Amino acid sequence: MPQPQSPIVEFSHVSMQYPGVLANDDVSLSIKGGEVFALVGENGAGKSTLMNLLYGLQKPTLGSILVRGQKITGSYTPQKAMSLGISMVHQHFKLVPSFTVSQNILLGHEPRKAGLFYDQAQADALVRDLSARYSLEVNPRDLVGELSVGLQQRVEILKALRSGADVLILDEPTAVLTPQETDELFAVIRRMVSERNMTVILITHKLPEVMRVSDRVGVMKRGKLVTVLDTAKTSEKEIASLMVGREVLFDELRDEKPPGAEVLRVTDLQALSDRSLPALHDIDLAVRSGEIVGVCGIEGNGQTELVECLTGMRSLAGGSILLNGEDISRLLPGEIRARGVSHIPEDRLRTGLSAKSSLTDNLLVGKQRSKDFSFLGIHLRREQARQYARRLTEEFDIRTSGVDEMVSSLSGGNMQKVVIAREFSFGSPLLIISQPTRGVDIGAIEFIHEEIIRQRNKGCAILLVSADLDELIRLSDRLVTLYEGRITGRFDPGTITREEIGYYMTGGRQEGGPI
Amino acid sequence: MNTGFLQSLRALTRLKPSQKLQRDYLLSLLAALLVAFGLGCGIMLLCGYDPIKAFGVLFQGALGTRISFGNTMAKTVTLCLTGLAMSVAAKAGMFNVGGEGQLYLGAMAAAVVGAALTGAPLWLVTLLALGAALAAGALYALIPALLKVKWKVDEVITTIMLNSAAIYFCSYLANGPMKTGDRGIASGTDAIAAGAAFAPLIKLSNLTTGLFYAAVAAFLCWYLMKRSTMGFEMKLTGENDRFARYGGIRTGRLMLWSMVISGALCGLVGMLEVFGLHKRFLVTISNEFYFDGMLVAMIMRYNPFGTILMSFFFAILNIGGKSMELKAGISSELILIIQSIIIFFMAAEGGIRRMLGEKLAARRARRAAVKAGREAKA
Amino acid sequence: MSELFSTLLFQNTLRTATPVVLAALGCLLTQHVNITNIGIEGMMLTGAFFAVLGSWLFGSWLMGLVFAMGAGVLLGLFYYVFVIKFGSDEFIIGVALNIFAGGLTVFLLRTLFQVKGSFSGPGIVPLPTLTFPLLAKIPLLGPLLSGNTLLVYVSWLLVPLLWVMIYKTPLGFHLRAAGEYPEALRSAGRNPNRMKCLASVLCGMLSCLAGAHLSLGYLRMFAENMSAARGYVAFACVIFGRGNPPLVFLAALLFGFIDALGLRLQKVLPSDLTSMAPYVVTVVMMVAVVLLEKRKKKRLARLSR
Repeated sequence: MPQPQSPIVEFSHVSMQYPGVLANDDVSLSIKGGEVFALVGENGAGKSTLMNLLYGLQKPTLGSILVRGQKITGSYTPQKAMSLGISMVHQHFKLVPSFTVSQNILLGHEPRKAGLFYDQAQADALVRDLSARYSLEVNPRDLVGELSVGLQQRVEILKALRSGADVLILDEPTAVLTPQETDELFAVIRRMVSERNMTVILITHKLPEVMRVSDRVGVMKRGKLVTVLDTAKTSEKEIASLMVGREVLFDELRDEKPPGAEVLRVTDLQALSDRSLPALHDIDLAVRSGEIVGVCGIEGNGQTELVECLTGMRSLAGGSILLNGEDISRLLPGEIRARGVSHIPEDRLRTGLSAKSSLTDNLLVGKQRSKDFSFLGIHLRREQARQYARRLTEEFDIRTSGVDEMVSSLSGGNMQKVVIAREFSFGSPLLIISQPTRGVDIGAIEFIHEEIIRQRNKGCAILLVSADLDELIRLSDRLVTLYEGRITGRFDPGTITREEIGYYMTGGRQEGGPI
Repeated sequence: MNTGFLQSLRALTRLKPSQKLQRDYLLSLLAALLVAFGLGCGIMLLCGYDPIKAFGVLFQGALGTRISFGNTMAKTVTLCLTGLAMSVAAKAGMFNVGGEGQLYLGAMAAAVVGAALTGAPLWLVTLLALGAALAAGALYALIPALLKVKWKVDEVITTIMLNSAAIYFCSYLANGPMKTGDRGIASGTDAIAAGAAFAPLIKLSNLTTGLFYAAVAAFLCWYLMKRSTMGFEMKLTGENDRFARYGGIRTGRLMLWSMVISGALCGLVGMLEVFGLHKRFLVTISNEFYFDGMLVAMIMRYNPFGTILMSFFFAILNIGGKSMELKAGISSELILIIQSIIIFFMAAEGGIRRMLGEKLAARRARRAAVKAGREAKA
Repeated sequence: MSELFSTLLFQNTLRTATPVVLAALGCLLTQHVNITNIGIEGMMLTGAFFAVLGSWLFGSWLMGLVFAMGAGVLLGLFYYVFVIKFGSDEFIIGVALNIFAGGLTVFLLRTLFQVKGSFSGPGIVPLPTLTFPLLAKIPLLGPLLSGNTLLVYVSWLLVPLLWVMIYKTPLGFHLRAAGEYPEALRSAGRNPNRMKCLASVLCGMLSCLAGAHLSLGYLRMFAENMSAARGYVAFACVIFGRGNPPLVFLAALLFGFIDALGLRLQKVLPSDLTSMAPYVVTVVMMVAVVLLEKRKKKRLARLSR
């Protein structure tokens, strides 16, 4: 491994002020050439903002940034950053689905014929050349929308490397990858550093990955850079306590009692995706009262469709769903709700809330025609609804200036609490919970986990879908893995390692594993 | 200085978020009105007219006499009902641009029934004509609604197309099978039963007892949108239909109902024109009345109470505009231009405010950061 | 029957289809940058007026076109500023623009020409008609291919030109990327809003040219509301042809054909009923698109199972 050299990027007293939020507070940091530098911190700690400044997406309010000793001035844009050899791969890929791999990689820099037309042959040659140089294999003619997430990321990395960048910023690159794809990515990163002497800046909050791949690690908290450590001389535990400012301990809340009667029984469930392609095949699943069944899998392997089928948001292509023995597979979402199914959806802004409505309205949904809040189901008793909303706000510790406030002005964690407050208040025997802590800060995560366990202890049957393996292992009584719309494994979380689960999640093994 | 005034100013700055929103909106509306009238004055000056005199004539013409006031009120009724029709549909996320066609069919149905029942008890004539008008408008609105809910066919285009189709169809009826034999009527149907027409409330003006029908309809609309469970469900459907469906609301059915109610209101407007003004169907029965109402509703963001108030203001412009044309020689289309400028700015209001706000916030942030930096050094 | 399907019928088809083709070609550009532009109706009407104005003032059809295109550029910019810069609702701005155009043209008609309803006169110079003696000799097709006004040929040329631009040039890629996923374009260092601005301005120009063809093509007059919902029909054609210029062109021809057929049928049917035809057909077309799409999806699903 070549020795890290002199600083290639330097931040000097950089502050970034958003309306109401100081996202970066007097950050000074220097990153050396030829190292893998990990930037860690909680959601909203300011890591992404700092990198956006380096990539020219925003301008710092105060302070200066130096690249190779040269101060950045004037109108600094991503284009300028690229010309200085800095490139960024965003967490959400910036790819056009209907374009080919070549079109995407060369977007904005297409080779031309006669100065006007797109030169496809030359474009494909350029992409082949690029992919050979970094040994990242892609087919230039494939449509990006039809590639797997791992391959899309590869296209995104190639796009970042197109201009010959030697500083590569990766924003949460492993969030959507399988453990195996993650390994592959890390191999690529190490190779780029050792063979091409590149500098890689990795934004992440997954500490095991930091330990595996980085040379140095910078810890950020509330906009400030807390410290910079040599990875070899620190531990996961030390970084974690620096990140949060205190030790995070999750108490064991579960009481050990055997699960009760079967509440949900799914048999031979089949469903189609939005694009009318088969998304679920022969799903068999049961959830008993007082237990949490966790569904793990890489996103896009049928979880969304499964949850939508169970809650009546998607029609079935086959099979049946029984709730306490009654077939609910042809019922409307409202009818399923009325029979005692509550649902925390994966996408709270699209499905779980009406952002433009008030807190009261969002908490009231589903109960508006009940006796408590209406007269004969026609006249809405608005004052009762507001009082009820006030009570729930207190009970679930939703931080807000009042129940008339628009939901869109709440933080992510508080929005999620609104959804949870509403869904848990029905007293439903079955809870379908999807990605409960996505984009939620650590304090709220603890609260949400505790609430879920409390519901379980009260005797609810819970189906929990999550992309966060740690969360699933912590909460679930049983686990199933979903791969390409099939259940590939069923386990007891205590008896299996993460690596093994990873295998099942990627179709490495088929059903029949330990139960 | 007057302390009461200062206190009320201070109270304004301590409003709750929802009230603050309304205050900001009203301020924007005021600004948009000023800009629109300013531009209107500019156009008049360019064309060589005296704007002060013109607007004087305008208000005189709309409110100056009992008759003109009656006409303005009658216009208010039309604008308000068509505006509410737009609002009810828009609340549930349906953009009903087809009210004009629904209005024509409602008018035709009322006229045909009203004429056919000559000799029947007058209350029966009114009742059946009312039913026919409501049904005609509602059923015609149901077509694009069903297409949207069942097959997701965009309702904006279909409603516009159905407008033209309905107007030609009514014109065909009035020139063909339903053509009257009365003298002096070029293209129209027979007159409705004698005595069935609404009585004028102000003599010689267009304001009739139809006002009461309109008042009842407007009250029901307000109640539906603001106080009922169905209105609540419609609002959620319009804001985020996926969320509404998830919450157990039968969104498709609500969208159908909102269009049916919207169409019925348009049918009612058609009937009011027939029974209140012309006593028969004429091909010229409406001059894009629905579009005027639509503008009012859009400016007031589909708020029923605001729509009623704004209707009165627009009616003044509308009626006054005609006398401005007669007395000052300025084309009344200038009013249409002013109205659409108000809409442009009200639609862009959020964006303009955001841009101004961002600029201010950026400047403030820079200043705060500079200050913080200075303190850190000291 | 043979009398019905005469050359005249197809000549009328071309005549009524051409404005729709031009407006639809403009509209499909905005569709590709993901702007639903129903303001083309008002743009068309404004274009029709300014074409007459230019032609009448200078006694030259060329100045008519220049005036129309100038109005188109302004309207396109206006639409872009309000919809993209201020982030207003596309439908509201579109509808308001149409109402505005209705008011503006009539106001100007009355103020400048002191007439009501319509303005026509010998001072208005119409668009030139181009005859190609060689083409005219082709049997059957000859009368259709030759002797049309300038803008008919322009619209024919634009169909392949736009197709090449959208699907075969980097400019077209950027246009489509700006509509499909603007962030991708932005991260490549290009400003998607510039593409949206370009599409909006081009759409304004083409819609106003469509208007110019209405007023200077065959009629030599401007009449109140003479666009008569053709802008909306053009929009429907764009949906029908999924934004692909040749398909959109065919859809517009179909509309023109039905319109022309209606005209011919006026001998047998009341004119009011035949005038209904294009509007009803447009609705049917919109439904057909959705149903066809559905069937295609189902077939794909069955294949992949």
